[in-house]
Amino acid sequence: MLLGKHVINTMAAPLELYCWKGGWGLPSVNIESLTVLAYAKFAGAPLKIHKIANPWRSPTGSLPALKTHGEGSLSQPNKIIIHLRKQKYNADYDLSAKEGADSLAFISLLEEKLLPALIYTLWVDPKNYVDVTRRWYGENVPFPLNFFLPSRMQGQQLERLRLVRGNSRLEPGEELEKELYRDALECMNLLSQRLASQKFFFGDSPSSLDAYVFGHLALLLKVKLPNGKLQQHLKSIDNLSQFCSDILTLYFPNDGRETPGSKISTQPHSNDFDNEPNKRRNQVLSVLVALGAMLSYALLTGILSIQQVHPQGALGSSKGHGAGTHDEDEEEEVE
Amino acid sequence: MSLAAEAFVSQIAAAEPWPENAALFQPLKGEEVTILLPTLQAYLRMCNLPVQVCCRANAEHMSPSGKVPFIHVGNQVVSELGPIVQFTKAKGHSLSDGLDDVQRAEMKAYMELVNNMLLTAELYIQWCDEATAAQITRPRYSSPYPWPLNHILAYQKQWEVRRKMSAIGWAGKSLEQVYEDVSQCCQALSQRLGTQQYFFNKQPTELDALVFGHLFTILTTQLTSDELSDKIKSYSNLLSFCRRIEHNYFQEHERPGLDPLSIRPSLM
Repeated sequence: MLLGKHVINTMAAPLELYCWKGGWGLPSVNIESLTVLAYAKFAGAPLKIHKIANPWRSPTGSLPALKTHGEGSLSQPNKIIIHLRKQKYNADYDLSAKEGADSLAFISLLEEKLLPALIYTLWVDPKNYVDVTRRWYGENVPFPLNFFLPSRMQGQQLERLRLVRGNSRLEPGEELEKELYRDALECMNLLSQRLASQKFFFGDSPSSLDAYVFGHLALLLKVKLPNGKLQQHLKSIDNLSQFCSDILTLYFPNDGRETPGSKISTQPHSNDFDNEPNKRRNQVLSVLVALGAMLSYALLTGILSIQQVHPQGALGSSKGHGAGTHDEDEEEEVE
Repeated sequence: MSLAAEAFVSQIAAAEPWPENAALFQPLKGEEVTILLPTLQAYLRMCNLPVQVCCRANAEHMSPSGKVPFIHVGNQVVSELGPIVQFTKAKGHSLSDGLDDVQRAEMKAYMELVNNMLLTAELYIQWCDEATAAQITRPRYSSPYPWPLNHILAYQKQWEVRRKMSAIGWAGKSLEQVYEDVSQCCQALSQRLGTQQYFFNKQPTELDALVFGHLFTILTTQLTSDELSDKIKSYSNLLSFCRRIEHNYFQEHERPGLDPLSIRPSLM
């Protein structure tokens, strides 16, 4: 259905895209990754997708990242989409000049009004962060990154929020939440008015604006948040919720069928939602640590000694006896 | 402004009509003049609301949010475009009443586009481009202050702007890319304007005032290179749009000494 939109590309190897892995029935849990994945589906770009949970393994150090042939790696969704367009995977092919201008304007609206509230809801709001975001990242990011990466990301997001709002003394709280949510609600209403009863924003086939809107709203729709004011408002807007669900069922049917318990193990180690591997690893580690402590205690106090100073006297216990004979042998060899 | 304060202001504003002695305060000429000045003047004139312009050295400190310019109407002091638009709306003067929902959505979106791209690009060019910053921006920003305060404040501001740029992902952009972004934004605006007189129907709205403010500033501010203003001039409908607004709303009211726009070269 999308073949008319692009020239068949003669490049042999497809481009590689690294993005955050999925959860809660979505192909990815990160807004920017979702945007890029959606655009790639809309434009019919054949991408080799690596879904990982470790940003250090991506070519640019952050996710999403597109590895291109000969132009290095690109990280921002904007740049990735421009690159795909250059490779003739263009979902905006049919848009008129005015519609293209409208796309640009509405994308700016999303970034300025909706994104700060999303960042607040997922990363700064204390209850949501602890119960949902930090838990997901703690469970899915591999050891030992999962100890410090979530809080580092939270710091980065809060800093970004501060700079974007122009207020360096911003603290999470009721007033900030009200301001941000008010802007976000207005933005969602405006989007809803623009979408009206159409299937996509510009007619019957999706464009880059649809990818951006989907990327920003899908998480809000699907994740179960304890503090869900923004979520409730989105669910009350029928055409936007329908829009997101449609895109999910049409373009990401496999991810939609995923349940939280199933795993897609593309990595050698498994990333379960239950803590089994972590618990076992912790158990093994603690046993090793305990053994090491006992051995060093024994060595230090002389119950067990490797180098024999007085072969007759010091070895009283049975443990020491066994080691003592060994030590005597060693001493003989040394001499 | 917090939500409660805004609601309060709106309530009070609705009670009285627009007084004759409303004043628009701005910092002294020669200091850093903000982009909002032509925007606000254009907007107020489009609403047919008379306002006198007063230049004060401490305008920044008089403003409730620290941003200049601001208006002083009756008992209230309001700054920034958003609150001022709401304030005038509460008084019964609104430019965007005639728009339907879809158009209003588009208007808000385009205003965000202008804020997002043009404003950020202007900040970038002023502060992150080393040549411009050293020759023009820093001296202009630090001129009212004695040594060594002027250097300290100028560098502090520059550092703050650079941090903001890296937070929103503009730090890695070269000057060429920024010019490219401005060009793209102007192209979008130009395509939206088309052959119309104003962006929506035949009546100007706050979007027209905002676009005029930005474009006018870019066209008349001295920078190290003229590339930016050349890019804008290449879109002829935008240029004639600016000229039209200047002609309709500014040239009839021009009075020497009171109107700060008179110190600037007009768009030739």
